[in-house]
Amino acid sequence: MDYDVDVAVIGGGLAGISAAITAANKGLSVIVLERGEHSGSKNVSGGRMYVHSLKKLLGPKFKDAPLELPIKKETFEIYTGEKKISFSFENKETENSYSILRSKFDAWFASEAENLGIPISYSTLVSGIDREDGGLVLRSDRGDIRTPLVIESDGAAAFASRYLGLVKEKKFPMQPVEKIEDNPDFMPKQFMVGIKEIIDKKTQGDYGEARTILGLSDGIKGGGFSYTNKETTSIGLTLKLDSLEKHKEKAFNIIEDFREKLGIDGKLLEYSAHLIPFYRFDSLPPRYADNLMVTGDAAGFLINDGFTIRGMDNAIESGRIAGEAAKKIFDSGNFSDTFIYEQMLEDSFILKDMKAASRISTLFGNERTFDAYPKMMAGIMERMFSVTDNPRDNIKDVIRGEVKKNGIGYYTLIEDMLKVI
Amino acid sequence: MMDLIKRLGLNKNEVGNTSHITVNTDICKTCVDKPCTKVCPAGTYEEDKENGITVHYERCLECGAALYACPFGALGFKYPEKGVSYIYG
Repeated sequence: MDYDVDVAVIGGGLAGISAAITAANKGLSVIVLERGEHSGSKNVSGGRMYVHSLKKLLGPKFKDAPLELPIKKETFEIYTGEKKISFSFENKETENSYSILRSKFDAWFASEAENLGIPISYSTLVSGIDREDGGLVLRSDRGDIRTPLVIESDGAAAFASRYLGLVKEKKFPMQPVEKIEDNPDFMPKQFMVGIKEIIDKKTQGDYGEARTILGLSDGIKGGGFSYTNKETTSIGLTLKLDSLEKHKEKAFNIIEDFREKLGIDGKLLEYSAHLIPFYRFDSLPPRYADNLMVTGDAAGFLINDGFTIRGMDNAIESGRIAGEAAKKIFDSGNFSDTFIYEQMLEDSFILKDMKAASRISTLFGNERTFDAYPKMMAGIMERMFSVTDNPRDNIKDVIRGEVKKNGIGYYTLIEDMLKVI
Repeated sequence: MMDLIKRLGLNKNEVGNTSHITVNTDICKTCVDKPCTKVCPAGTYEEDKENGITVHYERCLECGAALYACPFGALGFKYPEKGVSYIYG
């Protein structure tokens, strides 16, 4: 088959642009297919990027990146009923993460690729992929593209993997409704929906603050966030689908309730939503197949270790690795040998950090983290900060009492604590 | 609380002439919990006495949550040709 291009990248977001830049720098011909009218127009992130991967990719050009503010203050807030526990950490020296608005950032990132001569086809929707003569044919509303190698960077829903049958389309027959959870093809546990609002509120300081907020998601597994940008504030919730779909309240009401409880006033400027991968480490979707490498959210590269939740640095790094792997695959001439990419991923921080975080991630799948533990902590604080006519209990007895009151077993508590440390 | 439709009105959305979402109403009619109505941040899916579910595809933010939340595979979802464009993102 005559190929139109060495590498076709599906999706012009962080992973896709990073892959395209890397492959082009290695001398390959590349095209990027982006369904938005510009890169970033369909993208939503909570709003903070750890910038190490971007620095590695861009070198000195990093300083031109249109990031928002360096995050120098981290605040954790845990709400339980009328009680709230919070703690903050401030470090004036750090610039390892920035708040970010993706519509602006991705458009700039794509222009960096275009400056290298990489064509990006916007408003281009890939609607199918066929295997033909050892290569792939991408079907799009702008015509077919024949290529020996595809880098998939199309986000959490991973349509390219679905077209190729790597992620199974749901084709199961109608089930009795009372057996929803028994259906093995039912996948809501593997995703969260992120709902975000941009508020017209400018921060006072010259640096950014990140707030991680637990306990304001109406009892649904997940959490809230707030990031300060240059001119605006980003707030939002990430909600686990399996927890949300059984809930009494609808997602679009929960987010408004969250905004009101946070008490951030200012005009609402934008309302957005995006799917977030939330796979268990041992059930990640396929990362490679003949002629295909999967990057970023499509490969489920989200790392949550309790302190940091990050997908953007993984997206950029996995794209960079896929771009490098593309060159190696071209040199070998064997386009089914995409296992090179997997090997390179295994040597990278991505899979190492994901594996390390996988133990603690299980904490975010259980109810204790969102109910019993916050109540226990608030109960301990309440008793330590209250003075009455009764003699004071010592802290050991208070902790013991609150653990018992909230129905937490000591073995479970120790096991959960070990996951954190 | 800001009304959902007003919130959606903040976004630029080029809505196509035909729906990019289809539902199998034979299935929706028998579905009790209607999980799509809970997870969709845009209120795209509304409970309907006659058909089970009515789809307001013009509200869709293209997140794909409903696709993974429907336990019966009753949902056909393709990205729209144009659709939503965020200014902030």
